[in-house]
Amino acid sequence: MSDISEKPAGELWGREGFREDLYITATSLDEAGDAPAVILPLAVWLGLEDDVRFATNRRIGVSVAPGENIEPLLGLLDRIPLIALEFPAFNDGRSYSKAEMLKNQRHFKGELRAVGDVLIDQVAYMLRTGFDTLKVSHAVTLERLADHNLHDVPVYYQPGRGSHTAPGTYSWRRVPVA
Amino acid sequence: MYRYDEFDHAFVSARVDQFKDQVERRLAGELTEDQFRPLRLMNGVYLQLHAYMLRVAIPYGTLSSRQMRKLAHIARHYDRGYGHFTTRQNLQYNWPALKDMPKVLDELASVEMHALQTSGNCIRNVTADHFAGAAADEVADPRPYAEILRQWSSMHPEFSYLPRKFKIAVTGAERDRAAIQVHDIGLHLKKNEAGDLGFAVYVGGGQGRTPMVAKKIRDFLPVEDLLTYTTAIMRVYNLNGRRDNKYKARIKILVHETGTEELTRQVETEWQVLKDSDLKLPQQDVDAIDSYFRAPNLPQRPEGWSGLAAARKADHAFATWVDQNVTPHKNPDYGVVTISLKPIGGIPGDATDAQMDLVADIAEKFSQDEIRVSHEQNLVLPHVAIADLRIVYDLLLTDGLATANAGLITDIIACPGLDYCALANARSIPVAQRISERFGQPDRQADIGELKIKISGCINACGHHHVGHIGILGVEKKGEELYQISLGGSGDEICTIGDITGRGFSSEEIVDAVETIVDRYLEIRTDKEETFLAAYRRVGAAPFKDALYSEAANAA
Repeated sequence: MSDISEKPAGELWGREGFREDLYITATSLDEAGDAPAVILPLAVWLGLEDDVRFATNRRIGVSVAPGENIEPLLGLLDRIPLIALEFPAFNDGRSYSKAEMLKNQRHFKGELRAVGDVLIDQVAYMLRTGFDTLKVSHAVTLERLADHNLHDVPVYYQPGRGSHTAPGTYSWRRVPVA
Repeated sequence: MYRYDEFDHAFVSARVDQFKDQVERRLAGELTEDQFRPLRLMNGVYLQLHAYMLRVAIPYGTLSSRQMRKLAHIARHYDRGYGHFTTRQNLQYNWPALKDMPKVLDELASVEMHALQTSGNCIRNVTADHFAGAAADEVADPRPYAEILRQWSSMHPEFSYLPRKFKIAVTGAERDRAAIQVHDIGLHLKKNEAGDLGFAVYVGGGQGRTPMVAKKIRDFLPVEDLLTYTTAIMRVYNLNGRRDNKYKARIKILVHETGTEELTRQVETEWQVLKDSDLKLPQQDVDAIDSYFRAPNLPQRPEGWSGLAAARKADHAFATWVDQNVTPHKNPDYGVVTISLKPIGGIPGDATDAQMDLVADIAEKFSQDEIRVSHEQNLVLPHVAIADLRIVYDLLLTDGLATANAGLITDIIACPGLDYCALANARSIPVAQRISERFGQPDRQADIGELKIKISGCINACGHHHVGHIGILGVEKKGEELYQISLGGSGDEICTIGDITGRGFSSEEIVDAVETIVDRYLEIRTDKEETFLAAYRRVGAAPFKDALYSEAANAA
């Protein structure tokens, strides 16, 4: 088994476009070596001592699988630089609820990232539930993102990130921020 | 009726454009069927046994004449001249060509309709009492709340990839005509002691292979909390509902495995975070939606009653139809007319283009331009003056729409079954047709009285057999179609799941078996006032099992 940590496959994308991914993913700090920014699995991250976990000389993000509970993170949100929520399959929607809880309700200030089966038809939903960045490897999705074609609709029937209330219409409706 | 504003139009036309692009890519071979599948499902396009099927959403079953004419037009030009009204108050076209789908969606959009969320693991078309806004026994019209839920659930970013499909039903009367207790969420609109409107909230009902009656988790939820509380339920389900097994993924299983008390606690905890959020409903918004559903201004028509008595006396068939298919209206000069889509020996829920046009014309002239689709696969004219009943009846009679059997033994619900459906194990429609023919004689049905037969062609229970007074489930055994019978189910306010009688019956035997049950009921009922369901609840299954199986044993 290789102990060389790797950058997760794919390109990192956010509302502003493609960007450099400073993080590597690793299964332990040992594996991460001296990488300045690393994403660890939730169980490993929770097992770290506070002084390591929140060390000032490197950034340690945490990755959460759909079946894992974000409860232990809620009291620490202002100290976590990055949370990655996993989509092992596009139709596993649990991470949308977690994104909504973290960003739109508890106002997590760090980077919220979607990783896994990120497809173009879900991109708009991910942004609206609060994801800042998406790790994308699907070819058609990469093409569409490069063309700024988000496959979105011009009006929304729910509050969410990246939208504002529209005057003269119902309280639940929103329009996208231009 | 609700009318689209610019916002709604912008939404639907954007969705149609997206789907046009996807269909073109599919037809050009750029998308494989596998890649196309989730996209077409989002637009209500299924692949059936023989062809694609399009399921059109009819929100809470309410239609205008203009919309009904458009449905007729689509049936005529893009299908084989008919459509099928479903148990979810929707309409299905069985034979449209894929290349025509974008055009059909354009046609629908032109009358403020679409096929969104009629499929997939999202919040489906919200259903409501088909007598809403008209029935004499109603506390308040449930449709404004169904409309708010419809809007809020449209392309919901958090709840479009749920563990499984999700169905919400709303009723505004004690008498539950919307079967809310067999829905994922059932809302019963009512007033508290102070006279304020709110909802009793039921969660975790459903049919399928594990039928369950919903549990009440809130006795009174104020109207302003409708969306925040629903969001809390949806979130608990989205996070915790099972995703390892499709057959255990509905919220009913989560409620069952978690326990009602614990699940309620989780919902209430989540709701604490949400209750003062942007989704808290301002009264002005509720009022604005409510104003679309304001009761029509019905002119006084007191002359109807005297005329009705004479017309009844002169025509026995008309009198039977009035007794069976007309329900009391809030306004005593009016009635609520059920148009049976169950002609004797016909296909439950099917209507031709000409029939749809006829209903549209009648509704325009005699029912304030309004039509409803019932979950029992019939149509409803909600506001007909008693004085107009005779002419409405005569018009319905011209195209086979005056069958006087609403609520009777031939008013059968049946799923499409093996004649259309790729999931079915057995045929449903021919069984429904044969039962209908056996009991079709008007005096005989009237004598039997209220009796709901519901037939499903597989365990997914689209024909609602679990809540049939007599439920019939088609199964496949060693290559043969076999029909299992259950008794005593009911989808109304006293909701029960039927009990399976025992071994199933062959296609040849099933109609005789139903007749055996009916004959036994006629023997044991205390009098004509005791319905089949009441009799069953009094005596239990034993006398019926005895009749079914001892006779079968004797015959063998």
